[in-house]
Amino acid sequence: MTWDNTTLFSDDNPSDAAFRKEVRDWVGENCPENLRDRPSRVTPPEMKPWHRKLYERGWIAPHWPKEAGGMGATLEQQLILFEEISRIGAPTPFPHGLNFFGPILIHAGTPEQKAKHCNGILSGEVTWCQGYSETGAGSDLASLKTRAVLDGDHFIVNGHKLWTTNGHYADWMFALVRTDAEAKPRHAGISLLLIDLKSPGVTVKPIKTIRGDAEFAEEFFDNVRVPKENLIGPINGGWKLATMLLGGERFATGHPRNAAILLNRARQLARVTGADTDPVFRQQLASLEIDLLAFTAYYRHGAALHGLGRVPDSMTPVMKLAAGPLAQLASEFLVQVAGPSGASLADIDVNGEAVNPSEDMFEMRRVTVGGGANEIQRNILAKRALDLPS
Amino acid sequence: MEPILSEQQSLMRETAVRLCKDHGGPKRARALRDSGTEMDIPAWMEIVRSGWLLAAVSEESGGLGMGMFDVCLALEEAGKQLLMVPFAEVASVAHVLGKIGKRAEIQLRAIQDGLQILVPALPQEGWGNVGSAIPAARFEGGAWYLDGTIRHVPFAKTAQAYFVAATVGDELMLCVVLKHLVTLNTVHNVDGSTSSELVMNGALVEESQVMARGEMAQTLTDCLYDLLAITSGAALVGVSAMALDMTLEYIKFRQQFGKALGSFQALQHRAADCFVDIELNRSLVYRVSATYDAGEAHRAMAAAVKSRTSRVALAVTRNALQLHGAIGYTDEHDIGLYYKRAITLASLYGNDINQAARFSALTL
Repeated sequence: MTWDNTTLFSDDNPSDAAFRKEVRDWVGENCPENLRDRPSRVTPPEMKPWHRKLYERGWIAPHWPKEAGGMGATLEQQLILFEEISRIGAPTPFPHGLNFFGPILIHAGTPEQKAKHCNGILSGEVTWCQGYSETGAGSDLASLKTRAVLDGDHFIVNGHKLWTTNGHYADWMFALVRTDAEAKPRHAGISLLLIDLKSPGVTVKPIKTIRGDAEFAEEFFDNVRVPKENLIGPINGGWKLATMLLGGERFATGHPRNAAILLNRARQLARVTGADTDPVFRQQLASLEIDLLAFTAYYRHGAALHGLGRVPDSMTPVMKLAAGPLAQLASEFLVQVAGPSGASLADIDVNGEAVNPSEDMFEMRRVTVGGGANEIQRNILAKRALDLPS
Repeated sequence: MEPILSEQQSLMRETAVRLCKDHGGPKRARALRDSGTEMDIPAWMEIVRSGWLLAAVSEESGGLGMGMFDVCLALEEAGKQLLMVPFAEVASVAHVLGKIGKRAEIQLRAIQDGLQILVPALPQEGWGNVGSAIPAARFEGGAWYLDGTIRHVPFAKTAQAYFVAATVGDELMLCVVLKHLVTLNTVHNVDGSTSSELVMNGALVEESQVMARGEMAQTLTDCLYDLLAITSGAALVGVSAMALDMTLEYIKFRQQFGKALGSFQALQHRAADCFVDIELNRSLVYRVSATYDAGEAHRAMAAAVKSRTSRVALAVTRNALQLHGAIGYTDEHDIGLYYKRAITLASLYGNDINQAARFSALTL
């Protein structure tokens, strides 16, 4: 039996298996060549044609309900789509609109808000970004200070958002803003507001990442007028919306595929460099593959529990704490296997595929920071799962 | 995370929790250790009575018709309560016997009725087990005779018979060897359990005690190795989980600097990391054993289970000791019993490094 680390423990029933094959064939025929196995980052404009194809095929939002324009797919089908898209090295469409904001919009948006925004997210015509972090509000997100003051029919927004992925490409931002400066606890004074980034008073500046590209940006708001009807959910009710886990979101963000792809890359590269006969390489690869297998087991177990509505609260932090460091170790391993090329800016040719280990390694640094640093996840586990005192 | 269980499985699990609590626990493990007793006979009788030894044997072969997944559920509880019984060993042997059919019927029934404790005696060669090898079998005058030495067999003093793989030329043969026909040299392990050297000088095996030969014997021996890896892994998850629970209780209660130790972030983060590793291993054991039951397991999965559960059990129990401070270094405190059980189970049937190497050989 050959070892395939991309479909371990999958729970496909016969109809799932047929669906998997259908997706695999279609993705193989339809994903643009220039987007596959890209060592460098795919930008939103480059992503658009691929996003569009998935949209036209009806597969862009498997996790959205049918009435909102999604597939209403089972979690199993969602995972199949996700896995088959990444299996051939195709990029996954950006999650900010589809996975982060979309479910909140469907859950808490008014009919008018849904009518206005759902289609743009689905078709990919509108690019969204998430405006949460600020200079003084990183791990301690509830201390955010960007103010929105109601003035007649508009909120007047003043402040600064930071580390906004795709901010300089985005048309719209869903932002957490302070609507009550006196609220105690602090998160009770936060609202979720949709901001058109073309509005007067908005300044967007790209920020160069450690990887060397401009993946994220910062935005300055200077007396920006935002129509009152752009408030999502109740006033001062934004924190709950932003932190609630809707549906199977966690399964899209913590998938074991990052590590699987990197380990397969390391394996291929090792065959070229000859490292595959080195017992130390083999032992380290085995150790990482074993961790990947354990994480995949946990992931699949969680997906099955999700189907029964029995996922424990601890699952999200556990997934983050397991997936992030594993993907980082895998990327560092790839750099080791590359030897002197590990430090190179240039791509390495591995049987016709361009591999850039340092790009991968830089990319993976973000996964233990974004969306709540791992140290915060440990705090959450200590309190909620282990019941330790504060 | 909780396993997904049928009603029958939930009942079995509840029973396992109760049985292991009532008949095991650190106090019992300590008493057995202090009296030099390698096996807990009263606890064993309860397990025989429960029928779980044949849980992973089909109903037509007289078993419960469940699977290794169910055996692993019970073994996790046995691990939590430090039960000193060859449950993993005998249930694995029974499962293998169940695949043989009529020839193994008497052996299976003897296990089921508690008339015979039949433990595997596999050489575990190549894993630092120097001087241990597959014995050679010769056929003379209508019977077989075995010669050779197998080292580090657990529960060998109390068992009445050994499930042995022997070579016949290039082929393998699986057979039952009676205890009184071998010489035992037994040493104690850190946790009070034993490791025996089995010396066979022409140990007699009747034709009726030969269970399988040739390719089938090879397949079943491989299978037995895999099952021992998976089941001891399940017990290691239990050992780790209980060690963490005891540690959490301790750091919630113990005060220093005017606060509970458990309120310090450095300690909280250590505990959280242990929790993550145990959670992953529990799912790993569930998934691998269920995949095995479905007939879809890759052999590397069993290696992964034993490698990772061994590594994590050692790390968790070491952390448990550290978080207990000086009291953790005493013989008096029970946490040390968990550390020592982790060391013993991790060393058996291929440790972390052995099994990672095996995983590599099976996947590259």
